[in-house]
Amino acid sequence: MKKAMSILLSSVLMFSLAACGGGNDANESADTPANGGEEQTTTLRIYAQYSDEDTKGYYDYAVAELAKEMPNVKLDLEVQAQDDGQKLKSYAATGNLPDIFNAGQDQINLFRKSNNILQLDEYAKKANFEEKMQPSALNTLYSDDQHIYAFPYAGNEFVLLYYNKELFEQNNVKVPTTKEELVTAIQTFQSKGITPMSVFAKEKWITTALYDIFATRYEPKGIKGLDTGETKPSDEAYTKAAQDLIDLVKAGMLPKGVTNLNYDQAAALFHEGKAAMFVNGQWEVEASTKALGDKAGYMYYPAPTAELYEQNKLAFSGGGSPGGFAVSANTKHKDLAAEVASFMALKYAEFKYTQKGSPIVATQVDKEAEKEFDPMMVTLSEDIPNITSTTAFAWGLSNAKFKAAIEDASQNLLVDGYSAEQFISDLESALK
Amino acid sequence: MNKFLGNKIAITLFIAPALLLFTVLVFWPIVQVFYRSMFEWDGLTEGTFIFLDNYKRMFEDSLFYTSLYNGLIFAVILAVLQISIGTVLALTVSDGLIKGRKILRISYFIPVVLSITVVCQLWLAMYNGEYGLINKIFEALGLSYRQDWLTDSKTAIFAIALVNAWQYMGYHFALLLAAARSIPEQYMEAAKIDGAERWKAHWKVTIPLMAETYKFCLVLAITGGLNAFANMYIMTGGGPGTSTYTLTYMMYRSAFRVGEFGYGSASAAFLVIECLIVTFAINRLIARDRIVY
Repeated sequence: MKKAMSILLSSVLMFSLAACGGGNDANESADTPANGGEEQTTTLRIYAQYSDEDTKGYYDYAVAELAKEMPNVKLDLEVQAQDDGQKLKSYAATGNLPDIFNAGQDQINLFRKSNNILQLDEYAKKANFEEKMQPSALNTLYSDDQHIYAFPYAGNEFVLLYYNKELFEQNNVKVPTTKEELVTAIQTFQSKGITPMSVFAKEKWITTALYDIFATRYEPKGIKGLDTGETKPSDEAYTKAAQDLIDLVKAGMLPKGVTNLNYDQAAALFHEGKAAMFVNGQWEVEASTKALGDKAGYMYYPAPTAELYEQNKLAFSGGGSPGGFAVSANTKHKDLAAEVASFMALKYAEFKYTQKGSPIVATQVDKEAEKEFDPMMVTLSEDIPNITSTTAFAWGLSNAKFKAAIEDASQNLLVDGYSAEQFISDLESALK
Repeated sequence: MNKFLGNKIAITLFIAPALLLFTVLVFWPIVQVFYRSMFEWDGLTEGTFIFLDNYKRMFEDSLFYTSLYNGLIFAVILAVLQISIGTVLALTVSDGLIKGRKILRISYFIPVVLSITVVCQLWLAMYNGEYGLINKIFEALGLSYRQDWLTDSKTAIFAIALVNAWQYMGYHFALLLAAARSIPEQYMEAAKIDGAERWKAHWKVTIPLMAETYKFCLVLAITGGLNAFANMYIMTGGGPGTSTYTLTYMMYRSAFRVGEFGYGSASAAFLVIECLIVTFAINRLIARDRIVY
């Protein structure tokens, strides 16, 4: 009897386990043809930004469009971590990269060495992606080996020096064009209890951008020149730019404790009219216009002399670099993943243009903008064709060692006890 | 019992799971760290064997010395503050005459169970140069001692160490309290009969008898200080610049920001050796003989 019972129980257990296994198969069935000859549904893992209202807007829009265009594709989102690509690299190391992932320059460089990223030349050709690109943004499509590894959407973005027109007018401060005028503006604002310039210097990419603003006044190649090896840290331009920044910080340009200010704190100072100037990318146009209306504007970066100001007035800091939606080399669905990646990139650009009121996108958009361009964006669009040169954001630098070094060193420039010579020496060590 | 201890198969059988876990989760990764520190390796590709070149480079890197110095500062601050204040609190709470001992005991331990992120955010607000509580207190006292606690490259490491010391002081307090309570009453009674004051009796009797616990606390505080990472990661991002880097932070930067896993492993290997030396030295110098009551 006991034996019979144990056989019965074992059988029940076996069937239960089989049923559990069947459950798993049912989950997998999303990848296999459904009964009755219905169209096959494929689920792709995607690693994309989805952490705030801004990034959620892009993703949700693109997914809604994807559902209309490719109803047979489902996306399994994994939210991109703000971790210097650490999670993505761990995935790559364990052979577990998502089918589609948002990749920047350094990840592309690393993954192409380790054969983790799919070269998309053929897929781009099939999708006519190059024809859909803005001619001015082709630099964001091709990597330095002239191959395509990601479908871009952001375009060439810029670092802007925003200012509160009303505060300048009320305090009879001239919009500075030279270092001297900038010092005068700093002193005037300080005497009135207004923070001259707000920067979220807890983030090191913005301190790099702030340094680049001054470097490009002497050498339009800025930090990108150092990254590509076209220029050297020992070039006079870089020492002078570091010294200019140190001088301005000593003059009181930045609020106390600036290296501990995050975006919310720094932006609040500017948006609430407590800071006269603010540094951020051009994506800040929308938020600043919302907070300050017509009072918000951007100025050309002040230079050491009037001559250099005129000479490099349209040499902007920032710029695009290869990056966007990339595809894992190990995905089971290479064709489909590449198709979806290019579709997502196009829709991200479409959202930025139509909903966010930004013409700075990598690809052409056929639809009309639903939101009127902000006045600052109109001015910037007029400036863009005349821009003489751009550099790179910190995340667009190809030499990771140099990137880490300039991020650390540029933040150090904002505190006491760090000299321009030390700054140059630290950059030289990183570039050895 | 003796029969059981003589059974080598049983001993092996019972030790095996823990030994296996320790080997897989601790020992093997440490071996890998030492092995990988001899490679120029990006964490993804094969890597090139360069023997001790990463170590040579590390000893020429100014960031290594900044990190080493900060780790030592951190360790000393933790050891001094956590053990000294932990002792005072433990001896106070162990005193039967003190009222509300239960509440005090729980209160001292609360920071230990809080998330490190919560604690760091709390102290970030208190350290704020403009409207932080600490500067406001100085202001209220009429002292012109306003500081940019976390943005001054000279004070930032001290300010961060204080946060860690505050948070884990309760842990040391709990250990020391348990040690103080385990000392038999008759020693204190004998000291009292001999005319010793309460604190003198603690100094001459309780504290020396807690030597083994102090040894353990010291190892925890110093290795914890040398290993520090999370506080600076959350509070300053290693900054301003590199002024709050420790060896762990340097390892993180090398491996994850720069993609030099080999070089990062070299700083991790150095950290392992440093912690082992410190632990060995403490074990050799403090409470060498087992204290039996």
